[in-house]
Amino acid sequence: MDEMIIAILRSSTPLIYVTLAGVLAQRTGIWNLGLEGLMIIGACATVLGIAITGSFLQGFLLAVGLCVAASVLLWFVIERLKANQIIAGLGLTGLGLGGTAFAVEAYMGSQVAVTVSSGAPKAGPVLGAFGVLSIFVLLMPVVVLGLWVLLKCTRFGLQLAACGEHAFAARSVGADPSRIRLIALAAGGVLCAAGGAELATGSLQLFAQNMTAGRGFMAFAAVIFGAGHPVWSTFAALFFAVAGVLGIRVQLTFGDNIPHGLLQTLPYLATILGVWVSGKLRGGAKAATLTEEQSDV
Amino acid sequence: MSGQLTSVLRSLVFVLFALLLCSAIFQTSGFSAVQVLNSIAEGAFLRPNAAAQSLRWGLPLFITAVGVAISFRAGYFNIGAQGQFYIGSIAAAICAEALTGAPPIFVIPACFIAGMAGGAFWALWPGLLRIRSGTDEVITTLMGNFLASLLLIYVTSGPLKDPSGSGQQASSRPLDSSYRISDSLGVSPVIVTTALVTGVAMWLLVNRSAFGVLAGLAGRNGQMIRWLGTKQWQLGLASFLISGALAGLAGTLEFMGPNGRISSGFLPAHGFTAILIALVANTSVIGTAVASLFFGGLASAALYLPIMVGLPASAIDIINAAIALFITAKSAFVDRLLRVGRRDHG
Repeated sequence: MDEMIIAILRSSTPLIYVTLAGVLAQRTGIWNLGLEGLMIIGACATVLGIAITGSFLQGFLLAVGLCVAASVLLWFVIERLKANQIIAGLGLTGLGLGGTAFAVEAYMGSQVAVTVSSGAPKAGPVLGAFGVLSIFVLLMPVVVLGLWVLLKCTRFGLQLAACGEHAFAARSVGADPSRIRLIALAAGGVLCAAGGAELATGSLQLFAQNMTAGRGFMAFAAVIFGAGHPVWSTFAALFFAVAGVLGIRVQLTFGDNIPHGLLQTLPYLATILGVWVSGKLRGGAKAATLTEEQSDV
Repeated sequence: MSGQLTSVLRSLVFVLFALLLCSAIFQTSGFSAVQVLNSIAEGAFLRPNAAAQSLRWGLPLFITAVGVAISFRAGYFNIGAQGQFYIGSIAAAICAEALTGAPPIFVIPACFIAGMAGGAFWALWPGLLRIRSGTDEVITTLMGNFLASLLLIYVTSGPLKDPSGSGQQASSRPLDSSYRISDSLGVSPVIVTTALVTGVAMWLLVNRSAFGVLAGLAGRNGQMIRWLGTKQWQLGLASFLISGALAGLAGTLEFMGPNGRISSGFLPAHGFTAILIALVANTSVIGTAVASLFFGGLASAALYLPIMVGLPASAIDIINAAIALFITAKSAFVDRLLRVGRRDHG
């Protein structure tokens, strides 16, 4: 049982950090499809940083720096150059996936995985069997609750939500939506660095090409499924991670009798269902313009 | 005309921005940016038989990209080309499997139809959800891509699995050579004709039919369309179906032509590149054809780089991604730059 809980915590933590980054962006009105790219930059920079300096802290700081820089670039393109956020986000993801593959080949001279001798600090024997968990796992609940309090109870949090829901209203009370989006995306960059670092150094100590394998998009799905709420989205991410862990268990137990891809489809099916239901409930603006015609014809 | 010229120039300026960003990445990774860009240009456009390679990658991309352009024109943000491409290739593969033994003259058209139907089906449900319930098509088509990838893994490692296959990538059984429409070089009369017919048909549809005019209008101004009394849901659904069918057709061509089989995760950048092409071309059919050859050239350079000059193939992904980052930008600064430029010349 302990082992199962550890497996779930380990696979959900990277997803949750990245999901929270997506929540921050979503609340300010930006659909961040660059999460996948930011996460892999975080994972790659941490490992390469450790490989070069030998210190986890310096590796992680490198990851934070690069992820924040990439987030600011995304902000600049969306806010200042008025680019389409979906395409720009996908572009950032491509840049992250391609750039890290390129950097690994440049650094290692081949496509092999980069392994390092030290990883993220662990909780230690105080926690018994759970001592193998990294500090990112331990900090995760604090970060989730902290973000929830920030969004719900602080002036800044309310401004942040306001600029996503009604930028004009936010501006009219003196908040600058563009500046708030910059802060939210930069903070999201830090969270993505943490997610990437946990993925690469939380239990493993390596970076391989394309190692995020769609987790950034799954985090985006969790944001949508959780309606942009930090706690609900966290539970959505946790649910997706549990489905993933169970998928592996099912395959180990039943072999090829059950197609193991079936459970993997869950996050995507759930998200489609979620966005369909929420669209029905809210009766979204888009729906109104199109369904009107149907009664006409 | 001058508006069109400005939009072309604007695209070029942002492509230039993108190349600068790429150079920065190459340089910080310890390569000489000039040398990398030089090798890419050589691999894409300057080496012998570069034109044939450009066509091999560009023709399927063109077919998918024209479909993407049609849904973008109608105002629907269908980013599911990759999934529609996969489902099309799967449908064609299943069809070929089921008809094994029949004469090629029946099997090949049947596979084309199956592939287009498969792609259209994978665009149908996001289209219906969008039109009937207002469900955002960006999310549904994006999720559809992941579902299609999983389905591709399932069929290539399950029902269609090639038992003799080795290595990590699961593949389907190879298509019987009598059903192949090209060799592995991928430029054959059937493929070229298919692309030409698609291009001409879509050009006529966009520029010379009521559908094209109304769909273009619907994308720019939905209200106008309602006042004209047009059934907007029909336009919307038709544009979803066309874009899906064309992506499925491209999947069929890749399966029956150069690849000869389907493999899990094959051509993972196809849909994204097609979206990029449609955007670079500003959704014009002729522009899409030109841009397809350019991006087709880049795609062929991805094979050339590691083998011929020992550079990572991911350099091409970086260039495509950087172009995506900037291509939709509308900067007052660049517009000013372009105006200044025009004044200098005129």
